[in-house]
Amino acid sequence: MFPGARCHALRVRLATAVRAEALTGPANSPLWVEDVPASSTEPIARRRLAVEIGRHTTDLRCTLLRYRDGLADLVLVADRGFLDAAGLRAVAAALTGASPAEPPAVFARAEVAPVAEAGLPDWAAAHGVVDAGAVELVLPPEEAGDADSWRTALAIALVRYDSVDSPGWAVVGTDRGALRVTPGTAPEPTGEPAAAGLLVSDVDFGADEYRPCLAPPLPLTFSVWRQDGTTRLRCDHRSGRLSPAQVEQFTRHLAHVHRQVRANPGLAPDEVELLDAVERDRVAALGVPDRPLDTTPTTIDAAFRAVAARTPERVALTDGQVRWTYRELDERAGAVAAGLRALGVSDGDRVGVCLERTAELVVVLLGVLKAGGTYVPTDPAYPADRLAHTARDADLRLVVTRLPEFPATGATSAVTPDEVVAAGSEPFTTATTPDDAAYVIYTSGSTGRPKGVVVPHRNVIALVDATRPEYRLAPSDVWTLFHSSAFDFSVWEIWGCLLTGGRLVVVPYSVSRDPLALRDLLAAERVTVLSQTPSALAQLLDVRHEDLAVRLVVLGGEPLDARVLLPWFDAHPESACRVVNMFGITETTVHVTHQTVTRREALAGSRSVGPALPGWHLYVVDPQGRLVPPGVAGEVWVGGAGVAEGYLAKDELTAQRFTADPARPGGRVYRSGDLGRLRPDGALEHLGRIDSQVKVRGFRIELDEIRAVLLEDPVVRAAAVVVRRDDPRDAATTRIDAYVVLAEGAPRETSGVRGRAAAILPDYMVPSTVTALDALPLTTNGKLDAAKLPPPVVTAKPVDAPTGDDDLAARLREVWGAVLGVPVGLDDDFFELGGNSLFAVRIGARMREGGLPPLHLRELYRHPTIRSVVAAIGNQDN
Amino acid sequence: MRLTGKVVVITGAARGIGRATALACAAEGADLVLLDVCGDLPGVPYPLGSASQLEHTAALCRDRGASVLTAKADVRDTASVRGAVALAGDRYGRIDAVVNNAGIAAPSGKTVHEITEDEWSLMLDVDLSGAWRVIREVGRSMSEQRSGSIVNIASTAGLVGYRHFAGYVAAKHGLVGLTKAAALDLAPMRVRVNAVCPGNVRDAPDAEGRMLREIARALDVPAEEHVAAFTQSQPMNRLVEPEDVAGAVVFLASDDSAQVTGSVLTVDGGFTAH
Repeated sequence: MFPGARCHALRVRLATAVRAEALTGPANSPLWVEDVPASSTEPIARRRLAVEIGRHTTDLRCTLLRYRDGLADLVLVADRGFLDAAGLRAVAAALTGASPAEPPAVFARAEVAPVAEAGLPDWAAAHGVVDAGAVELVLPPEEAGDADSWRTALAIALVRYDSVDSPGWAVVGTDRGALRVTPGTAPEPTGEPAAAGLLVSDVDFGADEYRPCLAPPLPLTFSVWRQDGTTRLRCDHRSGRLSPAQVEQFTRHLAHVHRQVRANPGLAPDEVELLDAVERDRVAALGVPDRPLDTTPTTIDAAFRAVAARTPERVALTDGQVRWTYRELDERAGAVAAGLRALGVSDGDRVGVCLERTAELVVVLLGVLKAGGTYVPTDPAYPADRLAHTARDADLRLVVTRLPEFPATGATSAVTPDEVVAAGSEPFTTATTPDDAAYVIYTSGSTGRPKGVVVPHRNVIALVDATRPEYRLAPSDVWTLFHSSAFDFSVWEIWGCLLTGGRLVVVPYSVSRDPLALRDLLAAERVTVLSQTPSALAQLLDVRHEDLAVRLVVLGGEPLDARVLLPWFDAHPESACRVVNMFGITETTVHVTHQTVTRREALAGSRSVGPALPGWHLYVVDPQGRLVPPGVAGEVWVGGAGVAEGYLAKDELTAQRFTADPARPGGRVYRSGDLGRLRPDGALEHLGRIDSQVKVRGFRIELDEIRAVLLEDPVVRAAAVVVRRDDPRDAATTRIDAYVVLAEGAPRETSGVRGRAAAILPDYMVPSTVTALDALPLTTNGKLDAAKLPPPVVTAKPVDAPTGDDDLAARLREVWGAVLGVPVGLDDDFFELGGNSLFAVRIGARMREGGLPPLHLRELYRHPTIRSVVAAIGNQDN
Repeated sequence: MRLTGKVVVITGAARGIGRATALACAAEGADLVLLDVCGDLPGVPYPLGSASQLEHTAALCRDRGASVLTAKADVRDTASVRGAVALAGDRYGRIDAVVNNAGIAAPSGKTVHEITEDEWSLMLDVDLSGAWRVIREVGRSMSEQRSGSIVNIASTAGLVGYRHFAGYVAAKHGLVGLTKAAALDLAPMRVRVNAVCPGNVRDAPDAEGRMLREIARALDVPAEEHVAAFTQSQPMNRLVEPEDVAGAVVFLASDDSAQVTGSVLTVDGGFTAH
């Protein structure tokens, strides 16, 4: 315990001499008399008093500070176990003659019990280091309460401040040891670490100054006593990385909770109000950005036409040899639109688009909008089952694709872009409004199947208008189209570029997976605006990147560990290239918040994703939907210009997730299911997903969806899916591990289970490992106990047939094993061992370093075993 | 203020470097326990600090707002040191820093083989063993509180030799050695031990120091001549002021030097840089 944590102190202001002879018996302490060369109001006197009242002792110390103006301070400091508050007051009374009685013969003599410390609560934590300090509130005398009422109030406040994870009770440290306090029941002694300390004194100290502790016994220690006809509530905090403003706020809320507990002792924690009406308004306003959105609602195609009219001869789109101007793009999209109309598309119709990332894709997307339709993008790389689900769910009559066989259901017909253009070129008119849907993008959902998010034109226009001034998006910019059209990051890339007059450079899939090739493309095209997931940017950092012309990096799609950006800043100082981290959700139109990241944030490991974009706003709420105080974690709700229309044909789910704005009548918010907290400056700290939804390498994944697919397998009786990261600092080691309980009599081999799941799920959702268990470990509540799941079984086949080049094979096994972290057999599938594109890059780099023959990424994809790689390299040699 | 709330014990506080150090610590907000032998020692050929000088130091420190305890303490006597340290504990509950400043410059002035047994013993007893006795008394409580800073006032004579000062040089070299060994012993308890090696300190009238005068007398030269020679021997071409030494002590006593231990800080105008 810190020196002074066991001590309390009393200061009595005197105009008379003291009776030093009263210090007899147990209080046989010398009286130290100090003459201070200053009057009682001078800084020296105040400093001396402050030092004296903070000077700890193991029993009792009595000091008299005499000032030049004839006043004096009697300062008593005692160990709380040696002398309690009543005893302290009695000694003071005896010394000052206020009481003719001797000081008490009976002292407290109860050892102050040590209490184990829990860490500082998250809501009090901050980046900056502060000195020890205290906040003290003066409350009316009737709020004095007692140890019981304050213990209950403190427990309730702690529970409510921990709204997401709280077990419903809190451990409070007292001088008699730690108590587990469950509101509504008697406190129980416990050895568990305490979240906060509590010292309540029932002594009225009158005009004298009381200090319940000289140093906080726990990092946050609350104390209550009566003085000057008031109730004092004080929180002492230690030095450390904490926010005094948050401590002050909690202390205020503790007083507010205590008032409610006093008025209604049976109050359940959930019924307590933390915020009063004024503070609720203030907190609601905190998530609203300072600058309003200046936007004129229109449709995407109309906005594009305006740009094309202004700069018809500027290049709009680059894809390899293809360079189309705005006029050409406009004309080509117009031809697609006319063809679609000829094929029967009319205003508001949804049109599937399943095309590789090419210039043609952009033409078709724009064409669908020009035709008055809504585009529904899917990735041709998706498994047939998922494509079919989308076609069915979106009720697509028409899908524009070059897949030879689109897995169409009866009602869907597939056409190629050429067939569309050939279908007709009659003029047509549309009556699309900004409120009509521009696109439907499918995203993983808790229902076990992806769901379509319907986003109107006006949202996309708002997104561009919200970012254009801040990021100076201009015709001189060159953007990449890096992401799949099925991932809404592409909405930002395509329309952010084309509606601000920039040039859009298509990044083909193979280039997007090859950092060297990507670097070459970015350099050759002089790309200025680069949008990336943090994982993808990290890959780019593995190759030489100094010669890029990028002036703006927009990161999104997954949580950012800003430290990975340090090498980027070394090559691209903040003055030359701005790095912005954006937190986003498909349901709120790509982005929600924006945070410029500099070396400062990177070094601090800041989790801030910044304030909302102009036009967007945020709330953080508890499970009852009430606003939580700043700094307290809760669910992020997003309102404003980006809120989507809802889920396609899922009214019930839409009604659940898109609800009334709690502070802006008439508005709607999207309940993100993300965990976050608003900082007092309005910036959001993103803390991950509340449910099991996770992001792996930029892909939003619903573990329940994977589990649902596994459970559909007839041989699987039970399944659990977890995400693990072998090296917490290395996103590449993130892995989905599945565990299954197989039906009796089924073979103990899980490769069939994985194979079936791989045929249904997109590759980024296929578990890296599938391990068979006799039973899933459960908690006492009957929930999966993920911590008790064993390490996954990675089956390396130990006996290997010769490969023809055993030396090369051996060295490859070494390299793969070192990179993947598991022993690798000749016929082990790279992907089944947890391989991914990041590992592939590393293997390539290590092979280069080791002087091994070069291996292109696509070769590794084509030959995912060491045997096949050895053979492929042998063929290259020949 | 760098020493607010800290309790600093200073030996040999009646005058000279001890007084300057006390004043500097008071100005930085420290509370002080000022010790001095307050009387002459047989065998020391010049008057040592008096009770009046110690009280004057205390008064000057109180003027600067410090809480001050004074006590007579002879560092040759374990019981005396123990009593003073106990008094500090009773009043303040803790000791944050100790400045081992008490020391004598003479009996000196003899060739090494002419020093008597008593002269040798006296010199080592005060200048070396005295510091060790104080360290022994405060080491336990500082270790228990896991903080503390001990500053030993050595001398450039702890780093180089001087003719006709074998006892003094041996004692101060010993004090530098004691500093390093004690630093290693106490480092695990986060107690720091450092030495300050002043060069030729001026006999400043306010501080009532007389070291230079006594050295000159031991060498049997006129003080003015000696001052000129010493001034020239220091590359900065001026004598060290007691306040210069006090500044180094304040640094070592404060948390500014939190990771400084076992070090020897010279305040000698560059004398030992040669």
